[in-house]
Amino acid sequence: MMRWGRVFSWALLVVLVAVLGIAPLLAAPEETLSLAFLAGFKEDVLRANIGAFVQKTGIRVDIDTAPYNDLYKKELLSLSTGARRYDVLFMDEPWVPALASFLLPLGDVVKEVGASDFVPTTLAAGQYDGTQYTLPVDPNVLFFIYRKDLFQERGLRPPDTWADVLRDAQILNDPGKGIAGFDVTAGSDIQTFAYLTTFLWSWGVEILDQNGRAAVDTPAAREAAEYYVNILKYCPPAVRSYTFADVTKTMQLGKAAMAVQWASGARPLEDKANSLVAGKLGYIVLPKGVRRTPMRGVWTIGIAKTTSKRDAARKFVEWITSRDFGMAAALYPATSSAIHSPRVSVLSDPRVQQALPYAPALLQSLRIAKSRPRVPQWPDIQEQIRLAGSRITTGEVSVAAGLRELAASINRIMSK
Amino acid sequence: MTRQLTRGGLPWLAPGIAFLALIDLFPLAYAGGLSLYSWWIVRPASWRFVGLGNYVSLLADPAVWRATAVSTVFMGSAVLLEFVAGLGLAVFFASRSRVLDLLRPVILLPLFVTPVVSATMWRLMFHPDLGIVNYYLQRIGLGSPSWLGDTRLAMTALVLLDAWRTIPFMFLVLHAGIVSIPHELFESATVDGASPWQTLRYVTLPMLQYIMLVAILIRAMDAFREFDIIYVVTGGGPGTSTETLQLLNYRIFGFGHMGLASALAVLTFAIVAVMSLVLLRLLARRAF
Repeated sequence: MMRWGRVFSWALLVVLVAVLGIAPLLAAPEETLSLAFLAGFKEDVLRANIGAFVQKTGIRVDIDTAPYNDLYKKELLSLSTGARRYDVLFMDEPWVPALASFLLPLGDVVKEVGASDFVPTTLAAGQYDGTQYTLPVDPNVLFFIYRKDLFQERGLRPPDTWADVLRDAQILNDPGKGIAGFDVTAGSDIQTFAYLTTFLWSWGVEILDQNGRAAVDTPAAREAAEYYVNILKYCPPAVRSYTFADVTKTMQLGKAAMAVQWASGARPLEDKANSLVAGKLGYIVLPKGVRRTPMRGVWTIGIAKTTSKRDAARKFVEWITSRDFGMAAALYPATSSAIHSPRVSVLSDPRVQQALPYAPALLQSLRIAKSRPRVPQWPDIQEQIRLAGSRITTGEVSVAAGLRELAASINRIMSK
Repeated sequence: MTRQLTRGGLPWLAPGIAFLALIDLFPLAYAGGLSLYSWWIVRPASWRFVGLGNYVSLLADPAVWRATAVSTVFMGSAVLLEFVAGLGLAVFFASRSRVLDLLRPVILLPLFVTPVVSATMWRLMFHPDLGIVNYYLQRIGLGSPSWLGDTRLAMTALVLLDAWRTIPFMFLVLHAGIVSIPHELFESATVDGASPWQTLRYVTLPMLQYIMLVAILIRAMDAFREFDIIYVVTGGGPGTSTETLQLLNYRIFGFGHMGLASALAVLTFAIVAVMSLVLLRLLARRAF
């Protein structure tokens, strides 16, 4: 009896090993790409459309997502340690200089996908030291949003300068009715960096001078940061805890008259099912201080140098930058943050212009968009601007002290 | 005899020691070694020996001192609140009652929720416009404070969240301690005419000293190293008002400054080790 039991056990083990060993060989030879992607934002747009790529190529895509703050860290660690975790990577454009040495040059892919259809500034977002390392997928840019109905009621014209914005914010701010004059972030959220940088740029300040030294401790920079602090008086009371999503939500609920927001955040504002202000908003290029400086923030796609699936990765890059995907993404009713297309033919398509009332402002802003300094240290510097902005707006430090600290941090980073 | 036992037992202990060395000591030694180098992974070739340079930079950085202060304030406030509430509940639930028996498991529920999930839930509850906390505060006329946008309230919110999550732990440990006190002592106190307060002061608390120190030690170490709930709820803000050493370390590490991040990890380890040693000394005094 014991003997038979032992024979049975051995037989069972052999069958199990055989099945486990043979099963993968019998399965269809499917190639799977590993993609690093942004969690929450834009994810719904990609997931809704990825089926088209799988159907077209037979290549599966394993989408590994991380929130904005973590995505750069994950990509940097994966690429620099040779972990080969990702084949293709979705990257915010300021990360490109830092990650370029770990990416495959894509100059030949640009020729294939037709460079002439891309807004030129969006292609530049993927270049570093004269080489194209990534291709644009989502051409983001900061623009100005205002409530047309409230402006009409008060007989106001869309603002042309930041001084106009401050004046209009004072007029339209009505805490009694629960409407704030202006809507941004001002706390520890990453967007705080974008707002402080926008004001600095508008006041003529550059973050780095021509020698790569900090240029933010100047009278103009102090004036710009003071403006940021001042306009917070006309923002929602909890603005210091706001995130990108809160800025959008506040506008959606009709609780703010004006906002500066990334173009990708505008799509949910025009979603009639979830937005109380759909159809009531106007979109224009950012107002000016001494100059007009809409910040460019193009999301791009790149291929890891270490991938063993170059052909599949190339096909994915070609697909996600294609006109077909661009049209599908632009028309998709994104709930948190849209993916638009960097292609002029998509942004000027009548169907897209009808679905996205802000498409003309997006295209116009993109054409004059200002890029952040293209240095590998930029993600670090951006973090320091966020910190300085957050410390200044919460009153932890004065404007002068905050900018002095920021200049010192930038110089320390640039000296490495 | 002891030597014989040690010699005989060594082969049996070897796998455990090897495992411990691999899991605990090797990473620690590696981090210690790395902390002596300047290494920015964006430029892998930039690796160079800097000795104690990273430690000097950290000690000269106001952000490190600020984060140490924030970590200490968070640890002190959270552990104090958790200890007082946990002890109160443990004493209350020590009395025999069928209702309390039924309620006891309910108190433990927050222990079963993953920190990130509970943090996300509380972040929503503290949301100025959509949160339930402000909804009720407004209804009773207390306004609508910006919990996560105010530098002082943000820390309060984090302490409340941490307390909600870990009071059950304190309760569990202290309750186990109370029920293990010989019942005769309470009977003697009653016979001697001691009031409930006197029984607590002169019987329960002295008998619980050892357990209380163990609970405080465990929670203090945990609270000082807290990361996930702070990261999710405030991200260290507003400003840097809730940026603890762990968040600062994550930031430095995340931007690829491996040597500097390792040095900060070693410093944090040293602080927690000293803190633990002090508490362990206290424990030893109570035990013997």
